[in-house]
Amino acid sequence: MTFDKILGHDRQKDILRRALANGRLAHAYLFAGPDGIGKRMLAIELARAIVCHEQRGCGNCPACRKIDNQNHPDLHTLEPDGTSIKIEKVRAFQRELNLKPLEAPRKICLIDHAEMMTTGASNALLKTLEEPRGDTLLILLTDQPNRLLDTIRSRCQILPFTRHPNSRIQAELEKRLELNPTEAHVLAALSDGSFKKAFGKDRELYLEQRKTLLKTLTGLSTGSILQMLEFAEQISADKAILPDILEIFQAFYRDVLTTLHGRDTDELVNLDLKEKIFRVASKESIPGILTKLEALMTAQRQLDRNVNRQLAMEVMLLDLTA
Amino acid sequence: MAYLVLARKWRPQNFSDLIGQEHVSQTLANAIKSGRIHHAFLFTGARGVGKTSAARILAKALNCEVGLSDQPCGTCTSCLEITAGQGLDVLEIDGASNTGVDDVRELRENIRYLPNRSRYKIFIIDEVHMLSTNAFNALLKTLEEPPEHAKFIFATTEPHKIPVTILSRCQRFDFRKIPLVKVAARLRELADLEKLTVSDRSLALIARQGEGSMRDALSTFDQVLAFSGDQVEDDAVQTLLGMVDRRLLLDTVEAVLQRDCRRALDAVRRVDQLGLALRRFTQDLLEMFRGMVICTVVETPEEMLDLVGEELKELQLLAEDSSLEDLQRIVTLLLKTQTELATSASPMLTLEMSLVRLATLAPSQELGKLISHLESLEKRLATNPLPRSQGTPPRSVPEEPSPKKSEAPVITTTDERGWQGLVDQVKEKRPMLGSVLEHGRLLKLEPPLLEVGYPKNSFMLGQLQEPDICRDLEALAASYFGASVKLRVVPMEAEQKDAPPSLVETRQAKETDRMRRLREDALEHPALKSVQEIFDGKIKQVIPIDKGFV
Repeated sequence: MTFDKILGHDRQKDILRRALANGRLAHAYLFAGPDGIGKRMLAIELARAIVCHEQRGCGNCPACRKIDNQNHPDLHTLEPDGTSIKIEKVRAFQRELNLKPLEAPRKICLIDHAEMMTTGASNALLKTLEEPRGDTLLILLTDQPNRLLDTIRSRCQILPFTRHPNSRIQAELEKRLELNPTEAHVLAALSDGSFKKAFGKDRELYLEQRKTLLKTLTGLSTGSILQMLEFAEQISADKAILPDILEIFQAFYRDVLTTLHGRDTDELVNLDLKEKIFRVASKESIPGILTKLEALMTAQRQLDRNVNRQLAMEVMLLDLTA
Repeated sequence: MAYLVLARKWRPQNFSDLIGQEHVSQTLANAIKSGRIHHAFLFTGARGVGKTSAARILAKALNCEVGLSDQPCGTCTSCLEITAGQGLDVLEIDGASNTGVDDVRELRENIRYLPNRSRYKIFIIDEVHMLSTNAFNALLKTLEEPPEHAKFIFATTEPHKIPVTILSRCQRFDFRKIPLVKVAARLRELADLEKLTVSDRSLALIARQGEGSMRDALSTFDQVLAFSGDQVEDDAVQTLLGMVDRRLLLDTVEAVLQRDCRRALDAVRRVDQLGLALRRFTQDLLEMFRGMVICTVVETPEEMLDLVGEELKELQLLAEDSSLEDLQRIVTLLLKTQTELATSASPMLTLEMSLVRLATLAPSQELGKLISHLESLEKRLATNPLPRSQGTPPRSVPEEPSPKKSEAPVITTTDERGWQGLVDQVKEKRPMLGSVLEHGRLLKLEPPLLEVGYPKNSFMLGQLQEPDICRDLEALAASYFGASVKLRVVPMEAEQKDAPPSLVETRQAKETDRMRRLREDALEHPALKSVQEIFDGKIKQVIPIDKGFV
């Protein structure tokens, strides 16, 4: 059946499938949901289903192959150049949209990271988005629907996507990467529902380094200022993985929080570190953990704003060890 | 031809179709009827309320071949062309794509020519707020005095971005958000026209989703139809819109109110498992607490909540057990969570934390209650003083300690009053002189004789010995006492002890004395003592509330 290749998102697939079957496919869709969960894949699949000679995205006909090889003349994609989609690109895109489709029944346009459109670009798209040529299908993809203009959102049918349940990612990880269940569980939980993250390059960080990081973190005490400063220097050294490290800390303290509330242990992220979690939990109070989580979140926010990394980490660690 | 979405298929084609904008359609219709048609209109309002539609209807009404009327026929070539968006004399310009001054120049070129076959040449500029400043300015002259055959219609969602010079040249119409009932009624109308089976409840849900915008509501309706075909079931609508089950919401609210973190965390987990959006859940949760707040403050909450029967009763029951203050705090925290969720890297954690925080909030005490409690405590103490505080008379507040005469320097009351009054008066009229007097020691005040002492060799003594100043002062004193006064300034030895202290010295003495007494009084105060006892507190500092208080 159409869309079978994509894992999960049954409801969204169902909606699109029925729309295709009922002939009620709208002219503009907005796929909104976290990064790396398959929105783009689904959009491509939808395109295949439309252009396919057999009307189902068979994958064998010339049209499907062209889509797969990204050289179908009627599939247009608009992607950010660096950090934004500029108005010139949108205008060029619109000129393209004024033409009739070459081979497919409809012209399909994909706008990835639609939230990156500048204000001018978004506004320039409005008229097209409201009343495009009859045979056009626009698909906007975004992970931050709130950053889009109201007027853009109102012109599209919004299809919200949710993250994958951890169990699904865990199963996939076990199957494809042959990880053991505990490792797969940890990785799945830390990837926060995103396949992109789970299968990304940071596996070693999430699995092995995590243990040493957490060991150092829990080893710190209020008095050990020097170690703490060293640790801050160490973790702030690599800008790219710092957010991931913070997520690891966050997951750990969340584990402690859930343990304090007496929840089942199978809800924990760090299944392999149960003892450590229990040990920390026995020393902590709920308000204390909440303050620590708050400190972590503040640090995350600050990192988004280009602060001095090491300083931010030092302050955060001071809060965490207090 | 591909499927046309409802919002486009059922775009209003005459003024009576324009829902919720009666104030606009009536004004326009009357203007057309009476022939007083302005040459430039500006339509503003939120998304999807009918601005572009109104612009097209107006264009049709102006150019209808049957005649200028508020009821465009919809069958003549002109009307048909406009509906299809290909009218020769109606130019619909995308303001956001043609933003530059060159585009406007082209328009000005164009405007000089007479319409091809219709009455007017109409320029509809949609999204007009995106025009550049230069473009706007290039338009000013034309907009002020266009040729007789030209009409402008601007539409925008952001009127604040339009220069005032443009605004002042247009007739402005503000489009309102469309009330829920009217949206629902229109949906019902369309459902009947499209021969769809759908319940009123579903339509109300869909209408609510639109938040006052007809197009949003219709987009949602489209999605529902795409999903379930011509037979729409309530359950399908609910799942499709990602509505959170009411039971789950109620459960969460109860968990928070009963301070049961475990259940609250469980709820988040269930929401996540069901694959519902956390933001949506928070929004719904917020609605629930809002409902509860309204239930506590309003006598008849039905009107404000659009809830009836069971749902309302449940809310009222929940609201009964919780204080308004608590609810307000919860709402505030949830509002904060909601904004945090939008940017949060791990929304689930954010929501969990916020629910735990809500469930562990210490119950608030109403300030009014606390005060009345304290008062009753005080009253009990007053009528029935504690044994160890018997020495001091119980008082309700650290009241003014009556100045103890024995400590104050002795000056006869009349003298003091007279002298003080005189100094005050002088201070008012001659501030410098007044402050000099304040430092002087009053030796004798027996009108007509006034004797003031100053330390030998002091600067003030020198000053007062100036004949000019002396005369002035005498005059002032005379007017104060109502009799002529003879001033004598006496130089004194610094250590002269028997002379009365100057006003400044008296004040300083009083000040320190006052602080000491205030502290003593405060410490002895029965209310304070019992507070200290109950809370096991220590007194760090005694601060006078206000200088004039004691």
